Amino acid sequence: MAELLTFGVLWVVFSVLGELGVSAWGHDFYFYTASTQALDGVNASVFLFRFLTPIFVFVVLMLLYIPIRARRRSNESVLRGKGARFNATYVTIWVTLSLAVNLLFFVHPTTSAAEQLFQEMSPQATQNALVVDVVARQWEWYFSYPQYGIKNALNANGNNVLYLPVNRPVKFVLRSYDPNHPYALGEDVIHSFWIPAFGEKMDVIPGETRIMVATPTKIASTETNPEMRVQCAEVCGPGHPYMYATVHVVSNSAFQQWVSQQLKAGN
Amino acid sequence: MSVARIGGAPLPLRRKKMMPPVIRGLLWAGIGFLVINCLVAYVLDPGYGTPFITQPSVVFGWLAALAGWLLGIGGLENVLLPAFGISVPTVEVPGWRRYFGYSTNHKVIGIQYLVSSTAGFFIAGLAAMFMRIQLMGNHMWFFPYAGQYIETVGIHGTIMMFSVGTVALVGGLGNYVIPMMIGSNSSAFPRMSALSVWFVPAGIMTVILSPLLGQWTTGWRGYEPLAQNDPNGILFYYLGVFALTLSSLLVSINLTSTILFKRAKGLTWNRLPMYAWGILTVSLLNIIWLPEIELTFVLAILDRVVPLPFFTAVGSPMTYLELFWLFGHPEVYIIVVPAFAIWMEIIPVMARKPLFAREWGIIGLIFVMLLSGLVWAHHMFTNMRLTEMLPFSFFTEMISIPTGFAYMVVIGTIWRSRFRLTVPSLFVLMSMFNFLIGGMTGVFLADPVINLQLHDTFFVVAHFHFTVIGGMVFTWLAAMYYWLPKFSGRIYNSKMGILGAIWVFIGFDGAFGLMFIQGLRGMNRWVPVYPPYLQGLNIIISIFAFVLGLGFLFNLIHVVWAMKSGKKVQENPWQSKTLEWQTASPPEEESFAAAPVITGSFYDYEDTDGTYTIPTAPDPVSM
Repeated sequence: MAELLTFGVLWVVFSVLGELGVSAWGHDFYFYTASTQALDGVNASVFLFRFLTPIFVFVVLMLLYIPIRARRRSNESVLRGKGARFNATYVTIWVTLSLAVNLLFFVHPTTSAAEQLFQEMSPQATQNALVVDVVARQWEWYFSYPQYGIKNALNANGNNVLYLPVNRPVKFVLRSYDPNHPYALGEDVIHSFWIPAFGEKMDVIPGETRIMVATPTKIASTETNPEMRVQCAEVCGPGHPYMYATVHVVSNSAFQQWVSQQLKAGN
Repeated sequence: MSVARIGGAPLPLRRKKMMPPVIRGLLWAGIGFLVINCLVAYVLDPGYGTPFITQPSVVFGWLAALAGWLLGIGGLENVLLPAFGISVPTVEVPGWRRYFGYSTNHKVIGIQYLVSSTAGFFIAGLAAMFMRIQLMGNHMWFFPYAGQYIETVGIHGTIMMFSVGTVALVGGLGNYVIPMMIGSNSSAFPRMSALSVWFVPAGIMTVILSPLLGQWTTGWRGYEPLAQNDPNGILFYYLGVFALTLSSLLVSINLTSTILFKRAKGLTWNRLPMYAWGILTVSLLNIIWLPEIELTFVLAILDRVVPLPFFTAVGSPMTYLELFWLFGHPEVYIIVVPAFAIWMEIIPVMARKPLFAREWGIIGLIFVMLLSGLVWAHHMFTNMRLTEMLPFSFFTEMISIPTGFAYMVVIGTIWRSRFRLTVPSLFVLMSMFNFLIGGMTGVFLADPVINLQLHDTFFVVAHFHFTVIGGMVFTWLAAMYYWLPKFSGRIYNSKMGILGAIWVFIGFDGAFGLMFIQGLRGMNRWVPVYPPYLQGLNIIISIFAFVLGLGFLFNLIHVVWAMKSGKKVQENPWQSKTLEWQTASPPEEESFAAAPVITGSFYDYEDTDGTYTIPTAPDPVSM
């Protein structure tokens, strides 16, 4: 009984310490977040950390504390351990709790956060969104803005660039083909459109059109934070590591100014 | 006729001196490849400009080489000719040479598998070291071209998965231990088993030689349609994996039949050892899923060689992904289920206590096996329709419940026991700790919204290394130290064993623990170059990785040393009750002189029953 009590006290103490750690650092789980979707992910993660911490502490304590407590002293001649081969209470609690925790996790945050994301990506929610057509080829990202007539957004050096206004939902329409060689079907492979700071990615599948929605919440750019970059996340050939593009999230007026510059440049 | 055979004495055999089997196999493989390759490339299907190697010629040439290898190694005299009623006298070679040829002894086959796996492990480990050297810089400096780095990643993953992860604990330890554990002197299909082991070196060599045909950059998953526009090296990926999975499939058919039909008298299902349950469940997984991936690779080869555009933009790239992961996730459990079983095998012996809640441990193994076929698409959250995500998320979260039963059983067994903290038990505890981290991070990955951020980053790399190295490789080491006295009649050096355990634990948890953080900071997979802000942490990870690599080398040297010149011990140093320890250590040619009869439980340490005697003096090998 004393053993059980010691274990219980240790478990509570370390769990509380763990929870304090979750409170202190849990919201930095993604290091840098710059979209509402990333925040959805962080909030779901923090919820999971809350529940996983006591479970983790429980199992680790069991793996550390019990073997040390139960360790056979070298002068002991008894070669048999005490203890039951079955304990209905322990097994019932274990099975019930693991089932309950998993069902809870499935309802919240899994389903709730997923439904939230699906809602944000639904056609109704993206009616007024900024549409960016994203074309991935080996190994380059093309961005065009059909609502503004920008066919291929380029910066002053002629590199592909993504400009987004802050706090406005963006609907990325993702396709994989080579616009310069549209007949070369064999060149189309799977890419993955990922902006680390936005907390989500979506694969770009040849022959299919995929949608990803993000609402940027911070004014930032690749120069100010390297997590604000477009990075291909799915291996797509030897050029895969070089398949990135710079991102600028700017204020609404700066965005309008950029649009007119692009149009003037004939992009 | 009978006049000549007075007293039933055998006719004097005409002893033919045979070339060393491995040399003959290599020679016949080379001849087979040349003949068939030339036949296809120059006669049957000459390509434009009649090149020496074409896609069809190399595929058929490889098949001929595999056939030549298997026949040369001993398949001709022992399998093919007897199948046509021609009996060829064969001479069993003595000593170490028997490990380099055809042998029907399950213990020899087990060692052959273990050696092949170990070789694969260190070859692929060397590839990992090269990757970590490259990643210490944020630009190309160790490898000249990015494609070579990505190809190295692919070779590392392929060899690790198919020649180590699925082989070491099943083909290796399974072949060695399982027949003894169930009280049989042989496995069910010894001749098939004798040949199946030689698929493994052939498969490893095929994957290693794949760069000869051209760079492939798909990683170990061979994603389409990238595989179709890569150079031809991908053909040797398909063929190499085909050989390796075929080997595992044959092992599984053999071991399943062994457990079903060769059990000793009295060894009922209720008394079947946990490791045998583990091998049975993993074998069922293999029998269900390995043919599936082999046929997928046949489709991919047809797609490429004919060509048939199954998986290109005008076909369906997603179909390949589904087919791959349909096998790919059960694969993970193929790797780790035997490890769970070994935990439950070693811990009651070390705890001197009956296995706690044994039925729940078995239920756990079986439900992991069943559920593992329902979770595959969690590898595809980033490329499937939103509405398809949730069912896979559900089953992925649910599979943690039967997985947890293994923990429940082990913890319940250690509780209030007399626990012997030996090197094997230390490795089991470390394995459980590491697999726990792998499992807990899996909860985050199972959540689609979080997965959309973590997928294809180093977080995932860390997660699956925690499950595979943490779960399987640490358990493999535990099992090697545990069964070392069985293999050799000798014991390891405790201090060196503990040093080795702590060494790999620090290297492993340092390297892969930091990879979680690196992934969260935005480091994606398959990149030899990356933004400069990630470099500092990558250097630290690389240093831990080198420590880990040297740690594995240290353990290898220690185990080999202990087998050759470790301290001699009594035959059953752990006082285990399972049957493999009731034979001589190392076992004789025939493990059991007489068939054993089972009258009690193998895990009952509460009273001394009549079948086995347990010494009451303190054992000489604690710690």
